Amino acid sequence: MLRGGKELWLAVLAGILITGVYGAVVLFTRKIPAAGELFGHLLGIFGFLLMLMTETLYSLRKRTRSARWGRMSSWLQFHIFTGLVGPYMVLLHTSWKFNGIAGVTTLFTLIIVISGFIGRYIFTRIPRTLDGLEIEGTLSESALRQARQLMSLWHAVHIPIGMVLFVTAFVHMGGALYYATFLK
Amino acid sequence: MQTNRLGCLTVTGVVSVFITVCAILGFALFNGGQMFTAGALNAQQGDNYGGVTSHAQIQECSACHVFPLGAQTMADRCAVCHTDIAAQMFDVAQLHGAIKQKNAALACRDCHPEHRGETASLTELGDNEFPHEALGFSLNGHPLTAATCSDCHGDDVSTFSPAACDTCHRQLDVVFTQSHVLSFGNDCLACHDGVDRFGDDFTHSAFVFKLDGEHAEAACTKCHLDARTIVDLQSAPQDCFSCHQQDDEHSGRFGQDCSACHSPSGWQPAKFDHNLSAFKLEGEHAEAKCEQCHVDNVFKGTPTDCYSCHQKDDEHNGAYGTDCGGCHNPNDWEDASFDHNLSNFPLTGAHVNTACEKCHTGGQFKGLDSSCVSCHADPDFHAGAFNTDCASCHNTSNWNQASFNLSHPEPRAEEGGSGINHGGATCRQCHPSTVYQSSCTACHEGGFEGGEGGDD
Repeated sequence: MLRGGKELWLAVLAGILITGVYGAVVLFTRKIPAAGELFGHLLGIFGFLLMLMTETLYSLRKRTRSARWGRMSSWLQFHIFTGLVGPYMVLLHTSWKFNGIAGVTTLFTLIIVISGFIGRYIFTRIPRTLDGLEIEGTLSESALRQARQLMSLWHAVHIPIGMVLFVTAFVHMGGALYYATFLK
Repeated sequence: MQTNRLGCLTVTGVVSVFITVCAILGFALFNGGQMFTAGALNAQQGDNYGGVTSHAQIQECSACHVFPLGAQTMADRCAVCHTDIAAQMFDVAQLHGAIKQKNAALACRDCHPEHRGETASLTELGDNEFPHEALGFSLNGHPLTAATCSDCHGDDVSTFSPAACDTCHRQLDVVFTQSHVLSFGNDCLACHDGVDRFGDDFTHSAFVFKLDGEHAEAACTKCHLDARTIVDLQSAPQDCFSCHQQDDEHSGRFGQDCSACHSPSGWQPAKFDHNLSAFKLEGEHAEAKCEQCHVDNVFKGTPTDCYSCHQKDDEHNGAYGTDCGGCHNPNDWEDASFDHNLSNFPLTGAHVNTACEKCHTGGQFKGLDSSCVSCHADPDFHAGAFNTDCASCHNTSNWNQASFNLSHPEPRAEEGGSGINHGGATCRQCHPSTVYQSSCTACHEGGFEGGEGGDD
């Protein structure tokens, strides 16, 4: 069920929680947590893992016909939750510097979150069962077709953005490992 | 659109990945690893190292960054250009050598972060412990005041001017700082090492010379005059006299160990040992009250001769002089030992056993005439024929052992005599009553032949 927006409230709650921890660290250390230090690193790593889950789990579930793996609507809710909390943690990981490939990664993270928001509202225009199957007959034929086209177009944009994001993220990680983490 | 293909495998997905990879590779081709930069390199101009005057001029990431799996470290790369610092690493007396010794695992970048912007400081210790004490000055005493290196060092951490101490400490306590610098000079580090050995926690009690009593109130410079180093401070004399010579009211008469009588609590009261003075208290003197000699609390300049005090006790009325000690000792007046032989009239012969009063009539002991005739009147026997110098013929043992030394004409040699030694006769054998009367017949009754008693 997406209409209640439960996942959004949960994401906001998680965001407040993370902000609280972040604020405490800032207060305690009297500086912005650097991306390469413990807290900054944790933010980046867990934020990325959430984003990775956002991408992979929902995508995989979509392609599994079995209802054994939970309802599609729950997975979409989880997709939206992690798709908000993950990027927020990644944003905090940047330590508010947006140089080079890391900056590009952040930019694409922002874009895909916006894109995701847009997608969510297109998606909900088509009535579905809890398993994500479209319910026919509730919308007029033309309205349904228009919605499906819009959904298809959105997919064609949303997925490449995600791909670019993950490529830049992996390159960023590789570079960070090479130039910083494994420095001798 | 209902498809079972994974999103990444869609045409748009694959194409976007391809374009992204190409873009990144293209960028890497022209700009190397710069897309990974965490921030701009420092662009502040410095000395020329390795051909550049700032890090920002270095274009190649690999100039500093090493391959993580290789043998080299970033510090090795630093040392390629910063040869002076590399040399310091082998000398513990120098800044970086001391740091290296303290923490060998510390990398250059742990204190010298980069990629923090063109104007950011290249030295930031962060949580790294800088072994400042290894350089001779601990920062333990300055945890709050010295927040950054430049607070004390200015722009160059390798130099330090004591003027930095002066500036801050004058603000903290201008009066103390001013007098302290006047007293001990302005080379603060000559004595202070930051461990507060000579700072707020300083206690003189940690040293052999404890500051008790009045010493605790004394200004440091009273003892440590013109001290400029710790060695100077430690070489301050610890004996009383070195400092208190000018205070010595005894003019050195009581020695140099003031503490034998005095304590640091004050010159008074003193625990005085009279026997250290020129006048030792023996016998009855030890029992005497101080004021018996030291009238009106005058302790200095008290005369040490007997008579000054004992004139009133002199039973001889001055007849024996004023040196009572000549005969008496401090134990008892009665225990006197007069040695007449020390006088100008030694007692010999019959004089030894003569009662004192025989000569010292009327209790007079002084000023007596030492001539013989003052006691021994010229006898009738002499009939005034001789002078009064008895000793010219007599000795003190016996009057009759006189040896006549004047000319003695009788009996003449032609009369069978031999002058004075006429047959070994004594004076009275020939002169029975006076020297002017002589009798031959007392011996020569029967004639002069045959000598004494003879009939010659």
